Amino acid sequence: MSFGLKRAFHLLSQRCLSTVAAEPTAHNLPPSVTKLANQLPSTSSSLSVQAQPLARPVYLTVSHLVPPESSKPQDEVVELDSFIFSHPVRRDILHLCVVQHLDSLRQGTASTKTRGEVRGSGRKIRPQKGTGKARLGDGQSPMLRGGGIAFGPKPRDFSTELPRKVIMMGLRVALSARIKEHGLGIVRSLAWPTAKTKTLAGRLDELGWRKTLFVTGEESVPEGLRRASSNLYKVETKQVCEVTVYDLVKWPRVVLDVPAVEWFERTLAKDSKSPWGRAARSLPSSVS
Amino acid sequence: MPRELPITLKASERLFCSLPATMALPRFRANPGRVHLFNLSPAQNSQHAQKRVGRGQGSGRGGTSGRGHKGQKARAGNGKPKPGFEGGQTPITKLFPKRGFVNANTKTYAPVNLDRIQHWIDQGRLTSSPEKPITARELLLSGCVHQVHDGIKLLGDGAEQLKTPIHITPSRASKTAIRAVEKLGGTVFCKYYNPLALRDCVHDRTDRIQAAPTKRNDIVWYTEWRNRGYLSPQALAKMPIVEERWKTLSEQLRLYKNQEFDKPRK
Repeated sequence: MSFGLKRAFHLLSQRCLSTVAAEPTAHNLPPSVTKLANQLPSTSSSLSVQAQPLARPVYLTVSHLVPPESSKPQDEVVELDSFIFSHPVRRDILHLCVVQHLDSLRQGTASTKTRGEVRGSGRKIRPQKGTGKARLGDGQSPMLRGGGIAFGPKPRDFSTELPRKVIMMGLRVALSARIKEHGLGIVRSLAWPTAKTKTLAGRLDELGWRKTLFVTGEESVPEGLRRASSNLYKVETKQVCEVTVYDLVKWPRVVLDVPAVEWFERTLAKDSKSPWGRAARSLPSSVS
Repeated sequence: MPRELPITLKASERLFCSLPATMALPRFRANPGRVHLFNLSPAQNSQHAQKRVGRGQGSGRGGTSGRGHKGQKARAGNGKPKPGFEGGQTPITKLFPKRGFVNANTKTYAPVNLDRIQHWIDQGRLTSSPEKPITARELLLSGCVHQVHDGIKLLGDGAEQLKTPIHITPSRASKTAIRAVEKLGGTVFCKYYNPLALRDCVHDRTDRIQAAPTKRNDIVWYTEWRNRGYLSPQALAKMPIVEERWKTLSEQLRLYKNQEFDKPRK
């Protein structure tokens, strides 16, 4: 286990990030859970039956944006919280979240003038009787050419509201759907050494990572990746706090770095109060 | 139950072969593949179609649009009467003339007396230091006041029972209370709180800038050392923690005292 890996082990505290030396035959297999199970410390040898948690964690092989230096391939496996990354796929919840997001994007600036707002005088345009024509008042009647619009659009707010818990569930569903479709990748870090687009594009093609959303849990998107990818077609970078359900559904492949995974596990946990904005403040019970 | 079709059919054959109704492909597949924006749908039976009235005979809601025949209830704009409407009889609110007035500027302060504070200190429910004075938050959380209303007003009842020097930042303080506290070596600084600032104080939020007094009465009151106003120069010199903003505020809000206006010439 290298130093960097030990550090990550420490960072991930609860999460088991273990290294399995991949054999040439097992290289194409999905993350070798069985091998990992062998490595887990046996708690008690005297017990013949071991209690298994109902929700088994999800194991995912770590990918590398920058090609790893050592020639010997090593599979690192990340243990993910099954509550967040193995949620049943609820398309109705995703629909609610996506529609709510798209509603929030609507400008709602369409506007027309009613008969009261159209320029012109209120003079009666023709006598009430004797012309043999219809009775008319002023020239801005919606019936007339150049008149106002009856029941036309007016600026309004189309945004809708959705309970916070539904949005949080939507994020869990979207992440789980991406995992289920093998569309979620996890990397140690999204740092990219150069700002040259060509090299990044080459590496992404090598990995098959076109149409990918890169999500970082750091303070900002790493500068190298941001610069190199900003002009790439169908590649986007985002901070984890900006990610919406819409993004996760829209992008067929999502690549998270480890801090982003931690952010999701922290903010979408069962007892989490509010992932966005200020942490919920509570009054202490007593004042010393 | 969807029947599985033999998949050996070529595309062209599939297009032209007519299948019996029982063998037709189901309209919806149980698992329509990858989750994407185009295959999301709301939960079944969770949505209702809009009721469209007056759209012709075939709709079932043409004709009278479900309002029955002629009369008051068939007309537009006839909803429930407004509260206070008594069927056309002069309502009681119009029968009697208006009386009295409501003072929009009034403030209700939560009174706190010195003996009560001393009792709370004796019980160990309140402490104070110059850097961490007693504020509305401490008083509320310790149960010394049950509600902060528009602020705390320190009053001088039981001044003779006060034994401990206390450091307190209320909204207002009476002369006797100030005298009693300062005699023991404590400090009183009266600070202006608007409702939002008071709420922030109670919730211990510091990310918002606290409002400055804007009304003339408040400006005059909080710039006076006599009232231990926090914007008076003496208070600014003595307070242990002074925000930079208060100094500029104090300078600007006290300008009026030195301003002289030209008398109009005749």
